[in-house]
Amino acid sequence: MSKASVFYDKFERHSHGEGLKGHATHYCPGCGHGLAHKYLAEAIDELGIQDRTVAISPVGCSVFLYYYFDVGNSQAAHGRAPVVALGHKFANPESVVISYQGDGDLASIGLAETIATAQLGAPITVIFINNAIYGMTGGQMAPTTLMGQSSSTSPAGRNEYNGQPMKMAEIIAGLDGPVYVERVALFDAKQRIKAKKAIQKAIKLQVEGRGYSFIEVLAECPTHLKMDPEATAKWVKECMEPVYPLGVKKDITVEPWFKRNPPCFKGEKLLSLAGATSEHSDRFCQGFPTHLDAQDISLKLAGSGGDGAQTAAMLIARAAISEGFDATHIPSYGPESRGGTSYADVHVAKDEVLNPGSPDPQVLIAFNTPSLVKFGPTVRKGGFVIYDSSVVTEAPVLDPSIKVFPVPFTGIATDLGKAVVKNIVALGALQAATGIFPKDTLLTAIRVALKDKCALIPLNEEAFAWGIKSVEALDK
Amino acid sequence: MALKERPKPFLLPEYCKGCGRCLDACAKDCITLSDQINPLTGLVPVELDLANCNACGLCMDACPEPYGLRPAHEGEIQDFELEDPAKLFGVKPSDAPEPIDLPSEVLPLPRTEPLVIKGTYASALGALLAGCRHVYGYPITPSTEGAELMAKFLPKLDGTFIQAVSEVATVNMMYGTAGAGLPTMTFTSSPGFSLMLEGVSYMIGAELPGVFVDVMRGGPGLGNIAPEQSDIKLACHGLGHGNTHAITLAPATPQEMLDLTILAFELSFKYRNPVILLGDGYLGQMTGKVQLPETMIKPGIPKWAVYGDAMHRKNVITSIFLTETDLEAHNVHLNAKYEAMKVEARSESFLCDDAEVVLIACNTPARTAKGAVQDLRNQGVKAGLFRPITLWPFPVEELKKAIHGTQRIVVVEASAGQLEDEVRLALSKAGVRQFPEIESVRRMGGILPQQSEIMTRVLGQKEVLA
Repeated sequence: MSKASVFYDKFERHSHGEGLKGHATHYCPGCGHGLAHKYLAEAIDELGIQDRTVAISPVGCSVFLYYYFDVGNSQAAHGRAPVVALGHKFANPESVVISYQGDGDLASIGLAETIATAQLGAPITVIFINNAIYGMTGGQMAPTTLMGQSSSTSPAGRNEYNGQPMKMAEIIAGLDGPVYVERVALFDAKQRIKAKKAIQKAIKLQVEGRGYSFIEVLAECPTHLKMDPEATAKWVKECMEPVYPLGVKKDITVEPWFKRNPPCFKGEKLLSLAGATSEHSDRFCQGFPTHLDAQDISLKLAGSGGDGAQTAAMLIARAAISEGFDATHIPSYGPESRGGTSYADVHVAKDEVLNPGSPDPQVLIAFNTPSLVKFGPTVRKGGFVIYDSSVVTEAPVLDPSIKVFPVPFTGIATDLGKAVVKNIVALGALQAATGIFPKDTLLTAIRVALKDKCALIPLNEEAFAWGIKSVEALDK
Repeated sequence: MALKERPKPFLLPEYCKGCGRCLDACAKDCITLSDQINPLTGLVPVELDLANCNACGLCMDACPEPYGLRPAHEGEIQDFELEDPAKLFGVKPSDAPEPIDLPSEVLPLPRTEPLVIKGTYASALGALLAGCRHVYGYPITPSTEGAELMAKFLPKLDGTFIQAVSEVATVNMMYGTAGAGLPTMTFTSSPGFSLMLEGVSYMIGAELPGVFVDVMRGGPGLGNIAPEQSDIKLACHGLGHGNTHAITLAPATPQEMLDLTILAFELSFKYRNPVILLGDGYLGQMTGKVQLPETMIKPGIPKWAVYGDAMHRKNVITSIFLTETDLEAHNVHLNAKYEAMKVEARSESFLCDDAEVVLIACNTPARTAKGAVQDLRNQGVKAGLFRPITLWPFPVEELKKAIHGTQRIVVVEASAGQLEDEVRLALSKAGVRQFPEIESVRRMGGILPQQSEIMTRVLGQKEVLA
């Protein structure tokens, strides 16, 4: 009954504390916001949560909620208050976050945020002030405006072309996320007591970590409903209430669940997640493979999605980096995303990869005919082309300076019992054909990549060896 | 049983707006609407005649004003005489403590071997090392792997990853967490970044930190998912409505995706302003060598935050300044901040000292250009590369040095001239009027400028070099 201590002793934030509003709110005579504010303030007081509370003010008349409440305050963009509230709640799960919103805000522009947040169910409290009209902007039609009700944008009355009034409490109650939804009003003493209790209960559920709650308050906007305060209260009772029936729409008991540990800042944990290790891996290269290029070797691996071109490309990059060189890998997928064409540009550089693209590679590994046809002609003079002779039956004519290695990737892999290792066969072939790295460099990269699937290592080693053997057989 | 004495209502006429809600509530007809205008407020307060009052309190419950009808203190009389308001307004507004900064901690990390990871992953790791444990996002190619990595790692670090209902919701969740004073970020791509701009403007207005990693793709509209430098203009000059700017970083390697993400968090808290990291579709996907730093950050809580505790109770995060003079002052303050950010200008000059032709490029095209510079040098052409690392503020002083004495400037970009516009604007603002005519190598639609195209442009040949 007496002023809640949550209200500032003086409204300093209004006009810098000067002027007539030092102790009076800025709301119009008869406006419902004052009462809703009082109930909210009293609830915060009675629950003893003033220090933990963050009130989110929306846009509209109540954007200035922070003039009055001596709690943490955050002001949101039109319609976005519930997600701003989530941001606060996740930042500090101990905080009590209250999103206070009007109907244009909550039911129109912010409907997506409203529904999604309610469905998420995280414990925040939404106080929804429904006055059937846009207040601050001058009384336009809101989603909650009644049929036939005139407003500045429905001057002849809301009709079917504007759709039916939006019953937010029922919509929210229809979702699985919320634990408590009630519609209350302010027009008589009985309703005011109910409103106060509902707001308190909604916040208490949050304090207990039980879940999302939503209180719709049928409120009066005498100014834009263009009635005196008494008539407005009567209008809310006689016209609004039949459309927006009062009462509890949802009230389920769930055990408190929203308890979260403080975030972890343990370096070791983060490093282990990232797969970072302080162990120095063995090096096998005597130096940069300058027989291919003095500074920077450009490769392209091309095939269909599923051929393993990207994995093979990644293994080459890893191998190079573990030897202390620089390397890059750029994947390129066709628009089919998975299963379409797939190629990879790889660079291995002595010091720094300058240009990571491989429009004119020194080495092409082609897993199918279209890839060979497309990229074969782009290979530099004196370069290398290694292709899957199991699927490419007729190779295109390439520059005679290019060394060509037909190797049956698929055939070998199938004989080994696992077609997916054809890319490892290709890596073996690459090693034998170009001598880009010692065998152990690539084998180590393969073993590291398979460290969580150790059982597959022998198979992959075998595939790699067969790739080498196939190239050696070609030389003879 | 003795009834507890209940106080009767007391009314200060200045706080009464004469709405009449108390009239209805009073069963004893003690309250009437008056016809006396209060000279101070211009309103017509109610009049109380408490002869019949049984102190039921319903009128006080009905009053919408916190300081309207209140219980009378002992001996208080209703015949109120107007006082000087200054006398009334002497009370302290809040008993909450003065907030102080709870500082961040720098924690050591062991030296590790370089990772071989893609750009978006590197950026995500950078964010985690910068102390970010709150990430919100909406999936959009080609930035999705960053969000996916966060969704995988954050629960294991007791952090939060929430897939929001839209980019609009994403940026506003960031607004909330940033308002609480904690580091927060998102991964997005061009069409998503467009949607976030409302929130970016609010964050700038409310002076909130936050990191936006925008992996740019082809536009306008849905365009495609291939790399384009389509958002340079947006990031440098179009961050939502109003007087907005944010430091915009343009990495060129996976290593820089990590390093500049960490820097982005640092700068975003230093200036209480969002920071934009503009990658491109190639860079997001590109795998390379990434060395982790030897420290990581455990964030504190700044004094301005609305964390939801006693220390920060009196704070408010808002971007509304209803009085024109207030908003003008706020904008003047923001402009001073933008001016102060100019010391953060960063760039890389590669072989520019004696260059007769200077290429200007950022992101992946800068690497292609760097390859071209090397090739041109091998062919005896004195070429150099100027790479802005901050696009806003543009490193114009460094640019002036880089193009000093050059005969040609070639801007290489995957856009229709967005970078060139930045170059021209920066030179113009810096008062540089004399510079060679700017030539350009531009590709769009997801095609990046090729090294051969740069060579052709510089060497003046029509055919692509073999």
